[in-house]
Amino acid sequence: MLSTAHLSLEQAPPISIPFRFFLTAPLFGIVSGLLLIWAGEAAMVSRWSPLVLSLTHLVTLGFLTMVMCGAMMQMLPVLAGSPVPGIGPVGAVSHLALSLGTGALAYAFIQGSAGWVKLALLLLGIGLGVFAIAAGLALARVKLSSPTVTGMRWSLASLVITVALGMLLSMGFFGIVALNNLPSYTDLHLGWGLLGWMGLLLIGVSYQVVPMFQITPEYPRIMRDHLTGSLFFGLAGWFLLEIGVIRGYWSSLVPGCWMLLVTAGFPLFAGTTLHIQRLRKRQVSDVTLIFWRVGLIGILFGYLVWLIGRALPEAATAPWYPLLLGTLLLFGGAFPLVNGMLYKIVPFLSWFHLQNRQLALGAFHVKLPHMKGFIGDREARLQFYLYLAALFLALAAVFRPALFTRPAGAFLVLTSLMLGYNLLRAMMRYRNTKVLLNQTGSH
Amino acid sequence: MEHILDVSMLEPCEPLELTLSATRDLSVGDYLKVVHRREPHPLFPLLEKTGFSWLCRPGGEAGFEIFIWHRGDTAVEDDIAKIP
Repeated sequence: MLSTAHLSLEQAPPISIPFRFFLTAPLFGIVSGLLLIWAGEAAMVSRWSPLVLSLTHLVTLGFLTMVMCGAMMQMLPVLAGSPVPGIGPVGAVSHLALSLGTGALAYAFIQGSAGWVKLALLLLGIGLGVFAIAAGLALARVKLSSPTVTGMRWSLASLVITVALGMLLSMGFFGIVALNNLPSYTDLHLGWGLLGWMGLLLIGVSYQVVPMFQITPEYPRIMRDHLTGSLFFGLAGWFLLEIGVIRGYWSSLVPGCWMLLVTAGFPLFAGTTLHIQRLRKRQVSDVTLIFWRVGLIGILFGYLVWLIGRALPEAATAPWYPLLLGTLLLFGGAFPLVNGMLYKIVPFLSWFHLQNRQLALGAFHVKLPHMKGFIGDREARLQFYLYLAALFLALAAVFRPALFTRPAGAFLVLTSLMLGYNLLRAMMRYRNTKVLLNQTGSH
Repeated sequence: MEHILDVSMLEPCEPLELTLSATRDLSVGDYLKVVHRREPHPLFPLLEKTGFSWLCRPGGEAGFEIFIWHRGDTAVEDDIAKIP
């Protein structure tokens, strides 16, 4: 049951807080695309190339984490009845520090500069630290927990672990501290970030938004109650087993076998979501649904490629293998899920704030735009097709970098521009209607 | 007189929009029965602000039924109380 009992303007953060996160994300999409165009095939050499590291963080921090932080600040009061304390300053500081820190980190990788990385770590530590403390306090104050709240808690804990590992790694990578076994720590950082922070939040939030917005049956009870917790403890077990490998207690086969079991939770979630979407009561396709289908299929393909890597170690050691896996999971999985979600969150928030404003002013003769009136379906679909072209070109670039990297970058710029345009138009529509309400209400 | 509004197949925020719109045409002495698949918490404060009373109960094929009538319309309130 969606607990929206506390959904009111008094509790919801000012709309400018989530909107600034959502509007910044496409900018990082544009920068990522420009980086691909500028670097060309050099960007697809190996997972350890500075360009790939830079690109990965522009997408994971600049796009995905940016939207997820903004959405979480908005969702905590709405879905959990627990507002983020000090939302104004917390939102402003975390947004600014995350934006600047991501830019500084991307630049530090390209320049190989320890000075820039120190600045980036400071900014990201402030941005994500302030966010994690404030969101953690809000989560601790939740009176009535739900599977979505549980997913948020595990996800936030995973973010803290990811950031800590990332800081350690960056210092090791730039020789600020001595760190052996960089590949193992990198896998742990990546695993906690992708599967923990992003995966668990997406799963937890899906329990609410998929049945609510896509008119599907509920997820199975057992999945809602146990999946995110099991995955978190599965990741914690993997962490300890990997530390055992680093210390030389056992071979890497042990955590490898463990992860076969743990990661199965993600295709299980993706398959279940596709299944309940097929059973949805109103068979109307919309842009969020098609973004989600691509994302869920991306997760399934990503899992398949990961399995192939476990079965064929010679494939897993090829330079293209981690690039393919990363492209599938990040750009083919998380990216479209987050992108698709934006097309529900932004119109809903806009409409909800205007609805409350109208009631407060009693200006009932002003006609509010419908939720679907904030973002045009044609424009959103065009952005989807541009994204799809960018995805297929990026996958092709893994195997033919000289031919496909720059076109992939060009389409990434185009789809990000279109996303930014669509979001900006929705926000302008919100602002214009609010001005009209205020003018009419004050008469 | 009973007016029925089935919003069980609609996605947010259409149920809320249609319900609020239907209340504007609701006459004193009539009530609106909304068929919903969820308990629409955001609707309730909006109804109260616009001078309506409401009763939400689990039931029907969709999951929930919400009865809405003009505040102070005791005759309608009695009628609703008699509905099994």
